[in-house]
Amino acid sequence: MNREQLMSEALLSISLSAEYAKKSVLRKLTFQIERGEILGLVGQSGCGKSTLALAILRLLHLKGGRAVGMIQLNGLDLMSVSERQMRGIRGKEIGLVLQSPLSSLNPVLRIGTQMAEAWQAHRRGGRQECRNALLESLANVSLPAEEEFLRRYPAQLSVGQAQRVLIAMAVLHRPALLIADEPTSALDVITQADVLGLFRNLSRKMGVAILYITHDLLSVSTIADRIAVMHHGEIVECSEPQAIFTDPQHAYTRNLIAALPSVPGLPTIKELYSTAVKSHATGRG
Amino acid sequence: MKVARAVALAFLLAIGSVSLLANLLAPATYAEQFRELPNAPPSSRHLLGTDDLGRDRFSRLLYGTRVSLLLAPVAALSSTILAALIGGVAGYLGGRIETAAMWITDLFLSLPWLFLLVAVRALLPLNVSPQVSVIITFGMLGVLGWAGAARVVCASSRSARDSDFALLARASGVKPARLFARHILPNLTPALLAQFWISIPVFILAEANLGVLGLGVAEPLPSWGSLLRELENYAAIGRQPWLFVPLLLLVAVVTCFQLVLPKAELPA
Repeated sequence: MNREQLMSEALLSISLSAEYAKKSVLRKLTFQIERGEILGLVGQSGCGKSTLALAILRLLHLKGGRAVGMIQLNGLDLMSVSERQMRGIRGKEIGLVLQSPLSSLNPVLRIGTQMAEAWQAHRRGGRQECRNALLESLANVSLPAEEEFLRRYPAQLSVGQAQRVLIAMAVLHRPALLIADEPTSALDVITQADVLGLFRNLSRKMGVAILYITHDLLSVSTIADRIAVMHHGEIVECSEPQAIFTDPQHAYTRNLIAALPSVPGLPTIKELYSTAVKSHATGRG
Repeated sequence: MKVARAVALAFLLAIGSVSLLANLLAPATYAEQFRELPNAPPSSRHLLGTDDLGRDRFSRLLYGTRVSLLLAPVAALSSTILAALIGGVAGYLGGRIETAAMWITDLFLSLPWLFLLVAVRALLPLNVSPQVSVIITFGMLGVLGWAGAARVVCASSRSARDSDFALLARASGVKPARLFARHILPNLTPALLAQFWISIPVFILAEANLGVLGLGVAEPLPSWGSLLRELENYAAIGRQPWLFVPLLLLVAVVTCFQLVLPKAELPA
């Protein structure tokens, strides 16, 4: 494989089936993510979105599941690498952010301790080097880059702060891919908007590709380059947000859009999108 | 309840420090015999009288308290460490290892505790120096007392293993052994602390039971168990009510441990 082929290849390329105790959850789910791209994966609860996140990290067995198929990251087939190699990839090449910020943090460890564990999993270095890396990553997610903050326990954080800490941990090693599994569904709308903006900024600043898994079609549309709609363990439609809203191809996508809340007397999302397609496209540059 | 806890804690601290200072406070050593005064009633010289060998009971109670009150926590510590390793690792690894460990735990728990202690004690050398008998008695309690605690710890370990933060630590590339040491173990601390605290009165009572049977701490070294042996003399009890003092102290201390307990059960 020459260099040009490697460069043109997608960052992540997936074709995956997964099951829990013979119950099929993902059915040859296929999609690709380009470098630096934000892909919104939308589907309703229980359609296998979280299964996918764990399957990509090869952690599905922890939940009693089993995945078969192909996962290629930078041309490397993750299904065939050793567990040891895979451990080197988790957290370093692929970061993960989970749904519930407060249960994702170890309640008995200080923020700094947990972040240091994540740092030391892939780096060997002195205390000072580690501290500097942690403070820098806090600054990256607009949290106070202070020693005092690192000494706090998770219970001393707001939910929004906790989610930012988790995002900071996930991008600590500047991974090529960040998987965010329903990262805003536990947050209030204002914090949600902040966190969405944070994801977009990180993507621009670090060039990290984001697989943004959510049930909320509307919010992910504000940051995603493309949206993949998932239904019954398959991707039924995948295109740019405006195309999804203005010209949905699949019946399930139309259902999703029809189910979006609308305010009486105001234009619907679809109408807004239709009129704003051009400015949106230029606005994203 | 808060007041009761504070009083209990103060009482335990007082008894603990008095027993630690036994060699300063006791009017005599635990083995010194006042041969002209065997079986003496309480007096200003012998606060609790003397036993049939003429030894000062008050001094023996102080030294005996020291043995029981210091070594029961040591035994509790070792059994808690065993419980953390057996239960903690089993719950963390899960699968067949957990099943096997819990099977062994159930086996241990289904054996009558006192019978097990007596049987094991009988297997070990009986004719040993007093100091060795102390080590054997409390060592045995420490080695045999982990089962109940292990089951509780196993459950906490399992729930920590299945938690989101453990999943996230794995997704960060943390190695399994390190995940256990740095993420799971700190979460077991509240359970371990409670089990440690629960074990102390259990071990104090177990030592007293063994002592009454003559299988505990050997003479002339006193312990609560050997002090209680004097109560075997039914005929004397009615005439010498001060023989009940060690028993009262034992009941008071064990009760205080139970009263202090809820505090220790709170997460650190």
